[in-house]
Amino acid sequence: MALAATIDLAWRNRVFYLFAAPFAALTAVFGLWPIALSIQVSFTASGTALSAAPSYVGLANYATVLADPLFLASMARTLLYTALAVVANLAFALAMAMLIDSPRLKTGTMFFRLALFLPVVTPDVAGYVVWRWLFDRSFGSINAALGSLGLPEFGGIASVDTVTTAILIAELWHHAGFYMTIFLANLAMRDRALEEAAAIDGASAWQTWRHVILPQLRPAIVVNLVYATIQFLKTFTVVVVMTKGGPADRTNFVSYYAYQLFDQARYGEATAMATILFACVIALSLGAFKLVDREAAR
Amino acid sequence: MRLAQFLGAAAVAAAAALAGPGAVKAQQLVIWHDLGDNGVAWFERAGAEFAKTKPGVSVRSISYPTDQWFGRVISAINTNTAPDLIFNNYERVIRIQTQTKKVMDLRATLNQVADKGFLSEDDLRVATFDNAMIILPVQRVQMAFGMRQSWLTKTGETFPQSWDDVKRIAAKFRDNDPDGNGRADTFGLALQAAKPRDLVHMLDLFTFGSGLRHTLIDPQGQITIDRPEHAQVLEEFLKTYSQYKFVAPDTINHSFNEMYQVILGGRGGMFRVGDWNVRGWDGANALNGDFVSGPWPAFGGRPNSVVIGGMRGVAVPDNSPNKALALEFAKFLLGKEAQQASLELVGAAVRKDLNVDALSPRQQFFARANHRLAAYDFPESVHTFYPELEAAFHRKLLAGIANPPADWKPFIAETAREMRELAAKLKN
Repeated sequence: MALAATIDLAWRNRVFYLFAAPFAALTAVFGLWPIALSIQVSFTASGTALSAAPSYVGLANYATVLADPLFLASMARTLLYTALAVVANLAFALAMAMLIDSPRLKTGTMFFRLALFLPVVTPDVAGYVVWRWLFDRSFGSINAALGSLGLPEFGGIASVDTVTTAILIAELWHHAGFYMTIFLANLAMRDRALEEAAAIDGASAWQTWRHVILPQLRPAIVVNLVYATIQFLKTFTVVVVMTKGGPADRTNFVSYYAYQLFDQARYGEATAMATILFACVIALSLGAFKLVDREAAR
Repeated sequence: MRLAQFLGAAAVAAAAALAGPGAVKAQQLVIWHDLGDNGVAWFERAGAEFAKTKPGVSVRSISYPTDQWFGRVISAINTNTAPDLIFNNYERVIRIQTQTKKVMDLRATLNQVADKGFLSEDDLRVATFDNAMIILPVQRVQMAFGMRQSWLTKTGETFPQSWDDVKRIAAKFRDNDPDGNGRADTFGLALQAAKPRDLVHMLDLFTFGSGLRHTLIDPQGQITIDRPEHAQVLEEFLKTYSQYKFVAPDTINHSFNEMYQVILGGRGGMFRVGDWNVRGWDGANALNGDFVSGPWPAFGGRPNSVVIGGMRGVAVPDNSPNKALALEFAKFLLGKEAQQASLELVGAAVRKDLNVDALSPRQQFFARANHRLAAYDFPESVHTFYPELEAAFHRKLLAGIANPPADWKPFIAETAREMRELAAKLKN
């Protein structure tokens, strides 16, 4: 009965499915098939991984990877960095969105929107090269400015103490505009009558923001949280361009570590790492989504 | 009727053209390398010379960035879509052989070459891996110590011989504004320390150039870094990155590209010069010839040398589509015409009877090779676990540079102990 209803529904929407079919096929071929192949390679011996008849080694690559202290350290570092980057990006983006949305900002709204969104459309490699130069301790303008103000030198990407902060700043510059745009779209759709009612009831600005505006931003928070979690778990380009995993492995995140193994033709272990990361991305994204969704349902 | 006659005649003519005794079948050899435009020009010229003896044959070379070259070669060989020949450094071909087991043993091919006296025992040893000759050695890779001639003149110095000379000159290059721009923006040395092998690659040069035979491990599997003569070089090397402040502060993030920016951007006074660098650095948009090359600095009174950092050669996959012709071309690359073109266009060769008069003085330094030469010890050929051991060594050294200890001696002793433990583990 249910099957008949499903078939009936599909038949009634046949034109939609007809038009969607080519894109679904492309997604399967270019999206899902490479993922399946990558997972398949993770069960093969590296030496035969790319041959027509690879040798399957079961979970041996996963055992090797999970026994590798460098990988475990890399995974811990990746999770910590993701947590920091998600919080920093969303907090900054939300603050900027509130500022731009504020009625007190009478002029220049378009300028600030553009200024914050342009880095998103700037090629990431070019942006990170410029940041590397800005942080450079021999000719970078950041230390030149600090020096002229009589402030201590910033270690930038050359110091183990500051490298995480340095790439966090560069990534914030590149990504926060996107999250801000999502927040702005949500802010534009909110019910302003609720704020007027809160004002009549004598609510302070903080109380209005916390209990009236913020709950209405839940859809944007969910989208941004999930997207940012996925984005920062896979952090790669900024590392390749700015730090190459250093100094002293401090930015050797899982994506970059796996890439290094690819470079050494250790395909089985590299794809095992990529699969573990993929599982983490799926689990954390679903977890974040469920968490915020459950809060909304309360 | 006329149409039928015409078609019949055309068919006969076509068949005659294809199957007639005088027909020449065009054949193209494809070779994959990572030598860039210079390599493409070399193979083009060598291919044209080869075609004179093999009418109808052409050679097409394709240059890939090194990391892409690995992936493409391995996957092509493993999927039977291999090129006819591959060309690269010996250690990279070793990795191809390790991953595919389909690189031909070229001993029989080399035996067919009558004129091969210019190949030394060292050359042939490097070309051999797992009892098979996996490359025909075509280019020796020489790496010398270089410096800006104008900076030497400005600081009243001459080319350094000892490590003490280098330290004195490096301090002057850093502190005495050798480029005369009025800013403190110059450094004694341009080195690299970012990616795996960057740091060890630089250490190799200081080690072999100063007369030591091994950087990390000897052929018997003994770790060498805490032997007094090795420890001295290693300690000074590590201090160069840290306490001495002779390099740019961001060197810990510098790989080849960034190191070249320091050299070509006029910020580093002493640097590595590979024979393949010279042609480009002679150009007006690079160093414009403002550099001089020599042996690496001497430590402890041992004789110092220019380093043979490797051997580039040609290899033939077992599943090469035109194997017989590919082997002919591989032998041809040892001939005088191909070697002369290699010297002029890539900056390196193995023959010693080539005409070097048309080269610049800096190119002639390498081409004449009148200096003492010390070869890299090629541990990859002896210890299969070496890449993993070396990666761990690199990480340990980088951790030290990132957090320099007040005294490097205990650090070196601890590193040696850890490397011994790891080597024992990897051997098993």
